[in-house]
Amino acid sequence: MVNANTQLLDRIDNLKLGERVLEWKQAMNAAGWKLFAEREKWTVESWRETAGLDIQLRRALLFKKIVENIEIRIHDYDMLAGRLTPAVIGCMTSIDVCGDYIPGIWKDSDELKITMDANVGMDPESIEILRTSAREFRGKTAPEMTYKAWEAADGGWIRDAEAAKLKDPTLDTAIFGQVTSVLMWNKVLEKGLKAFIQEARQHIDAFIENRESDIDRLYFWKSSIIACEAVISHARRYAALARDMAKEETRPERKAELLQIAACCDHVPENPARTFHEALQSMAIVGVCKNYEHPMHNNPQWGRGDQYLYPYFIRDIENGTITLEKASDLLAELIGRWGTQTFVSSESSMESHQINFGINNAMIGGVDCSGADCSNELSYLFLHVVGLLQLSSPTLGLRWNKNTPSWMMNKAIRTNMATKGGIPLFENDEVVLSHFLKDGIPMEEAVEWCGLGCVYPCLPSRAEHYGAEGIAACNMASMLHLVLHNGVDVNGKRTGLETGDPREFKSFDALYDALMQQHRFITHRIFWLASIARKEQPKHMRLPFLSTVGIQSCMDRGQDLLIPDPDSCMFGISDRAIIDVADSLTAVKKLVFDKKKLTMEELLEALDSNFEGKRGEEIRLLCLAQPKFGNDIDEVDLLAKKIGEDSERIIRGYDNSPFRNYMIAREGLAWHYFGGLGVGALPNGRKAFEPLNDGAISPMRGVDQSGPTAVLRSALKAGFKESHASVLNQKFSSSMLGSNESIDKLGAYTNAFMANGGSHIQYNMVDTNELRDAKIHPENHRDLIVRIGGFSAYFTQLSPDIQDDVINRSEHSL
Amino acid sequence: MMPTGEIVAPQTAVIINIQGFSIHDGPGIRTVVFFKGCPLSCRWCANPECLSVEPQVGFIETLCTDCGKCFEICAHKAIRPGEGVHRIDYSRCNSCGDCVDHCGYGALVRYGESKTVADVWDVVRRDKIFYDSSGGGVTASGGEPLLRAGFVRELFELCKGEQINTCIETCGLAGREALLEVIPVTDHFLFDLKHMDSDLHNRHTGQPNSLILENAAWILEQSVDTVFRQPLVPGINDTTGNIEATAAFLSGLGKSDLRLELMPYHRMGQSKYRALNMKYPMDGTDAAEEEMVESVMRAYQDRGIRCTISR
Repeated sequence: MVNANTQLLDRIDNLKLGERVLEWKQAMNAAGWKLFAEREKWTVESWRETAGLDIQLRRALLFKKIVENIEIRIHDYDMLAGRLTPAVIGCMTSIDVCGDYIPGIWKDSDELKITMDANVGMDPESIEILRTSAREFRGKTAPEMTYKAWEAADGGWIRDAEAAKLKDPTLDTAIFGQVTSVLMWNKVLEKGLKAFIQEARQHIDAFIENRESDIDRLYFWKSSIIACEAVISHARRYAALARDMAKEETRPERKAELLQIAACCDHVPENPARTFHEALQSMAIVGVCKNYEHPMHNNPQWGRGDQYLYPYFIRDIENGTITLEKASDLLAELIGRWGTQTFVSSESSMESHQINFGINNAMIGGVDCSGADCSNELSYLFLHVVGLLQLSSPTLGLRWNKNTPSWMMNKAIRTNMATKGGIPLFENDEVVLSHFLKDGIPMEEAVEWCGLGCVYPCLPSRAEHYGAEGIAACNMASMLHLVLHNGVDVNGKRTGLETGDPREFKSFDALYDALMQQHRFITHRIFWLASIARKEQPKHMRLPFLSTVGIQSCMDRGQDLLIPDPDSCMFGISDRAIIDVADSLTAVKKLVFDKKKLTMEELLEALDSNFEGKRGEEIRLLCLAQPKFGNDIDEVDLLAKKIGEDSERIIRGYDNSPFRNYMIAREGLAWHYFGGLGVGALPNGRKAFEPLNDGAISPMRGVDQSGPTAVLRSALKAGFKESHASVLNQKFSSSMLGSNESIDKLGAYTNAFMANGGSHIQYNMVDTNELRDAKIHPENHRDLIVRIGGFSAYFTQLSPDIQDDVINRSEHSL
Repeated sequence: MMPTGEIVAPQTAVIINIQGFSIHDGPGIRTVVFFKGCPLSCRWCANPECLSVEPQVGFIETLCTDCGKCFEICAHKAIRPGEGVHRIDYSRCNSCGDCVDHCGYGALVRYGESKTVADVWDVVRRDKIFYDSSGGGVTASGGEPLLRAGFVRELFELCKGEQINTCIETCGLAGREALLEVIPVTDHFLFDLKHMDSDLHNRHTGQPNSLILENAAWILEQSVDTVFRQPLVPGINDTTGNIEATAAFLSGLGKSDLRLELMPYHRMGQSKYRALNMKYPMDGTDAAEEEMVESVMRAYQDRGIRCTISR
């Protein structure tokens, strides 16, 4: 829709958050984290009752037990029912899914560390519920059983490889069992859960009629019916609660609202949604139930929420059934609720992902089959509301394409300014589509792509097993570490292949070949272990509700999505730290092989001592001074391109039959902190265990001294065309982007990058903390530029008093 | 796509910096080429490294770790050790820059390098995609680019050959022949008007303003887009008298859509004076206050001038 209703857009621009949303925000900011053990009570009770039953039915009954019994609450500021816990910020555990994973659960303390920076107080009764569950499930869950199978097949390699951060940890709420969670929202909204139940019944009737014998399929359809009926009854519990509350309610306005909640929950998600309000209510219930089944890392994903919800939105607005203010508040409520839903992390998950909130993603705009852009007034409202809410989630992405209208682009940049960057990020529609099309996905299916978690592009129609088998990321910087130490990792274990003593390498090519050999060795071993996981997982875990409302092919073939379907499922992997490797290899090439300023022996000594002493520091500065990615220097940019392509050949060359080839998505959230913990000092000048570069194609911190356009030119040259998402984080200081005029210029900057094949870009505004850090550690921030009309200087070259001036200025303009 | 960098253009100029993604110096996303050397020496100048036409080496005391490498390297014995001492003895330094290359801490910086037109073209052409998407281009600034009008002409001819927009940021003090040389290849001028009183102009910039004002009037007669700029320096040119004189001058030029952009004075340049061991001429003057700047803007607007503030 290139021609939106501009009057409506203007009205959206002037919208503020309504009273209810503000009350909610206030309550949330005032409330501490609260951990609820109740889910564990019901899982244990159900598990004991169903001992001996088939795993599919068992998991469905466990799900039913939870949603039919768990405590529910409607807060005074709620217009939509459907909260994971009774508290405003509450979270729950998933011992039945992950086993004995909660940090500190056996310690004699009434506090549990549930996220990086939050301890929650727990009463002894709740602690005991958790411990009972841990006794019941430990050692029997899918990740634990997978480890057992891995160890039986391959000894302790897997644990060593994880300790060296060669791959992501597996016994982890953040990763395990993370299959697609973008639901078939269109079908849920248009047909209601009753249609799913009916479909399952027809399959069962046909099964009996045709005298089929594969009883697992029958179990699946049975489990679908159990799950969907349970969700409908969950909604009915809210309807009853709202009616009860209405009876007691003295404020007429609130009484009417409660009755409206009751009416909505009586109708949806069982039936098709008739209004925007019902559509959001349907999503709220289905979304929360998805999390009861598997309270994991990823919250309900919005998918292309601006498309699914648009017909309801525009009809109600045009008919006057709902005011724009009310529609905006309802949307804000659900965005806010999903964006602040928390979960309990394992220690490894805290370390690797550094998050407190479950991540959810909304992807707006984007093309339809004819190539026309679908941005609409609701897409605009998404941007506006997310800009007002100022939360860390959802990850909001704009599917940029050459037809993205200028009003949308302008709003997107303004939202970036309002949120101090990052929202929305921009993904290149055409690049992502081309990947899916190349892999044989039909156009009508491919255009529905959206984001999963942070930026991972996925198809709502297909089960995505990204990370589900404990692969997710392989760390190329760790691999380089192995090569420089003849296969010995940072912990002194020989996890890698012995590729030879690097001191004996006669040429740069020998070093490069050794790295690729190492890559082949590690990656193939991880893939081989993934096949074991793929076989083990479904023995111990099923997801009947997610399978039913998530993937049509699960219903069609009568199989849970944890049993991969060769025809439709996708497997992703992320080969990370390529830029660290490209910069490092370039430094070795220059210093050791070309200019011979150092011997390999000298370099390795400096790396192993973490650049200690005067000589060590000299060598580090030499390393830092070598050409770095991000400055439009062919030598290093083209090396990055080559590494990316060779890595693709290794990954996609692996025989994954009967499944599709692995797809590559170089994304990574805060992974660079975690990945860095497995890597010693690198020849790019990075010290041991420090973070790696962020994103997939962002330059090393502080080295992109040729300005923001050079960064994009480097990124375009390296291409990373083989990756679905190549995350580029581009940083701007507020001194650079202070004015209205700069909105158009940042838009043009984005357009130029995307139109020339850039894959992904997101913006961060440099904050004052970073400026303060640059005062103390100038060597890490040499790229920071201060620009004011007619003046330009590197921040680190300013005198301390002037630096303080700049910090002051930024505080005011940010 | 990106134009090729292989051309023959032997003219050279001393260039301080070529800065991509500049968004305050003309329309769109621009690459600014900073020329070294200026005929004025304004007391408030934020870029003192642009004053001299010769390359210079600066010393950033806060980044120095006293590692001693530069004493060893300098063949001219122009670097002296000691805490609290400016490292560079400019009476010996020939600006060869060897010390800069050997300083791993970034404490020694090179201000200015001799470059050919081809060198500069090879950098500016690379941002063609950004110029095209934003309506931007190349800006020659400094220092005073018109001191190297021949160089600018050659560079801009190359730009025009690739449909790249061009802009000159000038103090206005230049011979007519220099202006005539660049006019045919220049799309925009950013033209400074510092003070209307020639004596005061002379006192604060080292030159009277007569030629500048003459050039300002002349340039408006040419078919080239011009924006006037005024560095707004407290106590020097923010007086009612000067505002009225400037407004009267602009109105007297007989054009209806004249634009004036105010550049509020700030002290950011002070660090560069320290780096060059130069005395900061504006000690005791505070940065222009937001309120003062806005009231000056309104004063100009009241007098019919399209006035904005550059931030």
